Amino acid sequence: MKHRKLGMKALAGMSFLAVIIAVTTCLTIDIRYKKERMSEYNNMAFSYARAAAEYIDGDRVLSYIQTNEEDDYYRGIRNFLEISQRQTDLEYYSVFVPYENDLVYIWDVGDEEGVRSLGYHEAYMEGGKEAVSAVFCQNPPQKMSITRDETYGYIASAYSPVFNSAGDPVAVVGVDLSMPGIRRGLFHFLMAVILSVFGVIAVSMGAFYVFIRKNIIIPIDRLNKAAKDMVGSLEGEDTFHVEIHTGDEIEELSESFAQMNLELREYLKKLSAVTAEKERIGAELDIATQIQADMLPSIFPAFPEREEIDIYALMDPAKEVGGDFYDFFMVDDKHLAMVIADVSGKGVPAALFMVIGKTLIKDHTKPGRPLGEVFTEVNRLLCESNKEGLFITAFECVLDLSTGDMAYVNAGHEPPFIAGRNEGYHVRSVTPQFVLAGFEEMTYETGELHLAPGDRLFLFTDGVTEATNTAEELYGMERLELVLCANAEKNPQELLQTVKQAVDEFVGEAEQFDDITMLGMMFRKKKDNLTLRAELASLETVTDFVNRFMDGCGYDNKFQTQIDIVVEEIYVNICSYAYPDGIGDATLELAAEGDRLTLTFTDSGFAYNPLEREEPDITLSAEEREIGGLGIFMVKQIMDEITYQRIDGKNVLKAAKYTEK
Amino acid sequence: MNIVKTVNGEETTLAVEGRIDATNSKELQDAIIGSFQTTKNLVVDFEKVAYVASAGLRALLLGHKTAVSKSGVMKLIHVNDDVMEVLRMTGFQSALHIE
Repeated sequence: MKHRKLGMKALAGMSFLAVIIAVTTCLTIDIRYKKERMSEYNNMAFSYARAAAEYIDGDRVLSYIQTNEEDDYYRGIRNFLEISQRQTDLEYYSVFVPYENDLVYIWDVGDEEGVRSLGYHEAYMEGGKEAVSAVFCQNPPQKMSITRDETYGYIASAYSPVFNSAGDPVAVVGVDLSMPGIRRGLFHFLMAVILSVFGVIAVSMGAFYVFIRKNIIIPIDRLNKAAKDMVGSLEGEDTFHVEIHTGDEIEELSESFAQMNLELREYLKKLSAVTAEKERIGAELDIATQIQADMLPSIFPAFPEREEIDIYALMDPAKEVGGDFYDFFMVDDKHLAMVIADVSGKGVPAALFMVIGKTLIKDHTKPGRPLGEVFTEVNRLLCESNKEGLFITAFECVLDLSTGDMAYVNAGHEPPFIAGRNEGYHVRSVTPQFVLAGFEEMTYETGELHLAPGDRLFLFTDGVTEATNTAEELYGMERLELVLCANAEKNPQELLQTVKQAVDEFVGEAEQFDDITMLGMMFRKKKDNLTLRAELASLETVTDFVNRFMDGCGYDNKFQTQIDIVVEEIYVNICSYAYPDGIGDATLELAAEGDRLTLTFTDSGFAYNPLEREEPDITLSAEEREIGGLGIFMVKQIMDEITYQRIDGKNVLKAAKYTEK
Repeated sequence: MNIVKTVNGEETTLAVEGRIDATNSKELQDAIIGSFQTTKNLVVDFEKVAYVASAGLRALLLGHKTAVSKSGVMKLIHVNDDVMEVLRMTGFQSALHIE
């Protein structure tokens, strides 16, 4: 129904206007016409009155009053008046003589009743006397008087004086017109006018409505429909089409609509391109996250062939791509490097900087190169390409698996936790130096730590200690140390997962603000080996090697002395007997794991199992004792396990001792 | 290893310092055997000996046997715990004169 309103409004408006126009027109015509008709009647009445007045002989008029006798002249005049009255619309045609109190008729003709005979005296009608008196002069007024009278009805009268030969007025000719007759005529005319005016207006209104409908309503309906279709089909094929050729503002409007349709489509196209671009960026960010995750070593166990270490690390980025990273890799066969770092800021910039930082650190960590030097160089390179003012806090350490010596460098990062064998974790205070990428001229110092076999290392970023719960409390170092100590016996993977779970439980429903990154490493086994020409002169080299290995393993002096003896006895044995011509190599491998120390001697000499050698009788007195055989005897006494194998043409003697047996 | 030799009448004292291993035990052995060429009795002071391996034990055993053959006495003094453990392990504790 809504869309019909405009037509109805137009129609109502037009009707209102038409009525006003019609009424105004009718009134104007009516008033104007009435005036003219009345003037015509007036002129007609007076001309009849004057005609009769001039025709009648004034000198004879008075004689009829005196005699009351009709003669031929009298009858001739009456005949003339009767014919005139019949031929016209005159109601009454009369000639009378006015007196003081009444008037006396001479002639009187008419259709209706009230026609008076000769000599009839009649009283004046209301206002009649004044009107007649006014006429009874040389220049009577030429305006009809209108009266309502019981006898004569509603009439208009025109009077004209009859003069005698002396020029005096002697009688009056009265012409009466019937007002209802006049009115009827006027009314009929008015009716005709009204009918024709309304007829014309109705026809033009209908035509106008048709015009409006064709030129305004229908085009607007079309536009409306087209606009609705357009909105529905904006994303599909362009079906917008409006045929409007009204040549006016509506056509212009339709053109604007068509233009708007085109522009809307163009805009939508751009919008969908932007949306697609956004989706593409989102997808690429996902890939970036994946690449970042792939950059971090994430296959565990990381070094299945290295029994010396057990390592695990995890990173839980707060946003899609994070600024934290960890890394670990073998620098050479004996050195394990571990890195943990946190790039300032979040998101893509931090992630990109992280990639650079991680790559630089790994690339510059070379065997034998001091870590301070590595960081000095990495810092210099990072400063070169750091216009964004990002920086990295980083901790790197390189563990010598053969000695337990651990070099480190700390660029403003959190200190590591270290746990001794069978002990809990404690923060190892390491002096922090300035952050990486902060200041180009920075030089970094290498620090030294030592790990004994069984020691464990825990590295983390501030995402752990600064994890915040809904009450705005930080997780903090104390909670971290507690959970580490409570789970100190766990292997790195279990430990890190436990810590992560504890942090997650602490944080609860609160949002994770920072990346959470941890690296755990257990120095399970210290292993080293030495191969050299088997000759007595090298004994000191061998014992130095062994003692260096044992230093930092936490063995007591007695234990170390006994191992020294064992090493010497076996080595001297090899030097003395393995190679008949005295030239050949011997290899000693040492391994410390838990409370067990294992020595493995290998030589390529002829097959000889020293364990089969007859043991000396130590109960004999000194005089009876043999000189030889004591060495291997002592080895057997000191060591808890000892085995001999001949493998691939080599003698392999393996001996182990426990510290707590 | 360092050996300081002092002679007091019929008794020679060898104050040994350092480790006695396969590379230097011959030195000790020579010093011990040599002492019996001048004196009958020998005191070997092990106060500053932290380490003795089987080569050192052989030197001691040879010295003991020489002393016996020359009706002399060889005594070990100031033996520390680690070295004593070696002597105990090998039965030398009861075979040698140790004070």
